Amino acid sequence: MIKIENLVKRYGKLLALDHLNLEIEEGEIYGLLGPNGSGKTTAISCMLALLKYDKGTISIFGEEMSPDNYGIKQQIGIVLQNVAVFDELTVYENIDYFCGLYVKNSQERKKLVAEAIEFVGLEEYIKMRPKKLSGGLLRRLNIACGIAHKPRLIIMDEPTVAVDPQSRNRILEGIQELNRQGSTIIYTSHYMEEVEQICTKIAIMDHGRSIAVGTKEELKSMIKTGETVTIEAVVLGTDQIKDIRLLPHVFDVKYDEQVLTVRCTGAKHNLIRILNYLQENEISFGRVFSELPTLNDVFLEITGKELRD
Amino acid sequence: MLHLMKYDVKVKLHNFNMLFWPLVFPLLLATFFYFAFGKIEEADFETVPVAIVEEQGQAADKEFLEFLDTMEEDDSNLIHVESMDEKKAVSELKSKKISGIYYVGETPTLTVGGVGMGESILQSLLESYLDGKQTMMKIAENHPEGLQNAAAQMSDYQDMVEQVSLGGKTTDGNSQFFYALIAMGCLYGCFIGFGSALTLQANLTALAARRCVTPTHKLKLILSEMLTSFGIHFINIIILLLYLRYVLQMEFKGEMPQMLLVSFIGCMIGVSMGIFISSISKFGEGVKIGILLGISMVCSFLAGLMNSEMKFVVERYCPIINRINPAALISDAFYCINVYDDPARFRRSLIILTVMSVVLLLGSFLAVRRERYDSI
Repeated sequence: MIKIENLVKRYGKLLALDHLNLEIEEGEIYGLLGPNGSGKTTAISCMLALLKYDKGTISIFGEEMSPDNYGIKQQIGIVLQNVAVFDELTVYENIDYFCGLYVKNSQERKKLVAEAIEFVGLEEYIKMRPKKLSGGLLRRLNIACGIAHKPRLIIMDEPTVAVDPQSRNRILEGIQELNRQGSTIIYTSHYMEEVEQICTKIAIMDHGRSIAVGTKEELKSMIKTGETVTIEAVVLGTDQIKDIRLLPHVFDVKYDEQVLTVRCTGAKHNLIRILNYLQENEISFGRVFSELPTLNDVFLEITGKELRD
Repeated sequence: MLHLMKYDVKVKLHNFNMLFWPLVFPLLLATFFYFAFGKIEEADFETVPVAIVEEQGQAADKEFLEFLDTMEEDDSNLIHVESMDEKKAVSELKSKKISGIYYVGETPTLTVGGVGMGESILQSLLESYLDGKQTMMKIAENHPEGLQNAAAQMSDYQDMVEQVSLGGKTTDGNSQFFYALIAMGCLYGCFIGFGSALTLQANLTALAARRCVTPTHKLKLILSEMLTSFGIHFINIIILLLYLRYVLQMEFKGEMPQMLLVSFIGCMIGVSMGIFISSISKFGEGVKIGILLGISMVCSFLAGLMNSEMKFVVERYCPIINRINPAALISDAFYCINVYDDPARFRRSLIILTVMSVVLLLGSFLAVRRERYDSI
């Protein structure tokens, strides 16, 4: 459905996109995950033909994307990172205005606007102006303006920034519902939990490149970490830390302020082996956690830095 | 297109900057001018109190006393005359209760206590009486048969003198302020143009970016914004003209179609200036508003908004500024219609304004029609 090949974009000396390659299939919720400045928004802007780029090709629905390819634009909806609505118009008028840029028939538009309002749950606010809405409601309005015309492809650039948890959950559920209704979705975020929760395929981006692509399971299987064991309130000596590092499947041990973090490769009984060692050496300990690898672990292993840095 | 225009109008009518500066502010300023100048005019025509002291040992000039009576009874209430003895008159002059003392002997004289409008009026009255008397004496000597006719004509003197322009229309000292005010109102259309351009360029606002990725052709968006901007501002200026004419009772002696033509072209230059400034640079919104406000105010100042002499000073020392200053050209066009009756000068002002508008619009259009940006 979307194919980006060798996309290069420079802002002066800064290389914002470095031979980026992406391939997005119809029906996916495709997550672009990366820290701020990794090139997600630049990639989106190039896809939408808003930004000039130095090299590469972008095709959408099998056609090359260009500013005057109105056929492609007709089938795309966008939800930008910054809320992009008219402060002077009411909720209803904003959605009607943007829907009207895609749908000329007023009867059909009326129906679509009503459905969009219901979808984002803004029925009680249709006569209010955006400045009177809370942050969460404003984000919902921003989404409604982008999806009212029922696009085949929806591009969402960090739509949950600065949104309270309740509204965030509602937005994420809405995105999954849009996908069930048939829209393909490109979702950019630097919140790995969100991407992990809703995306069927994920591209991890850093320095303008796609450094890993796959389902979340595929991405996690790419890295060494299979399990991370954390033990609190434990007092260890240097020799004991060395002993733990020598346990089977353990490849990284960190001990800081009486908290032991042990990263193991994917294997059974990692936790039991560590606890057995502590018991055998009569070492007392507090709470114990065992976590499966996250996308942050994937990012950490590939780039050597935290996703949140 | 109607869908776009409907919402463009709604947006503009609900936007503070697009409503206050181009419409409300000129109305407020016009009202302020009206009351400020109204008081000046009232002060100018305050009746001047004057004392008459008959000189001892001389025959009083009866004609002069009659002349003063006539002036006092005139509708203009120019002077108020009171006879008194010299001691009291001097005392009242010192305490500024009167502006002067006419000493009436064989030849009347005037004593004043200072310099001002009242003193000047008293001096003028005395001079005109003495001149008239001398003229009448010469006529009596040389053409005694025409004496009656001359006396009748001289009594009509005041009605014969009226300040008129070369075009034959009466001038009003304050009208220059109001024409400059209308010019300022036209230029303040830049705020409407500025707001419009902000919503058209994806590198300036997210709202513009959202509009640019829709299948609606960019030219349609531009056309709708420009048409609604011109339309709304033209209505703003018509409201201002109607307010000046019917509420503040300002007399426009020119023909209304010509007034509307100047207003329309004035709106074009204002709106296109706003679109141009907004389009060509990547300064912040606040900086651009500052630039627009600065340009509008400087142009209006040089056109005589704050000082009616300014335009003439500029004309004397650097006339080229008056040829390129849109506010001066607009106020000049209004002056041509209402005062000078100078069609050539009127046409020249309109042609310069139109050319400037077209150049600004063309520049704006080339900047705004871009569809891909280097950075956003």
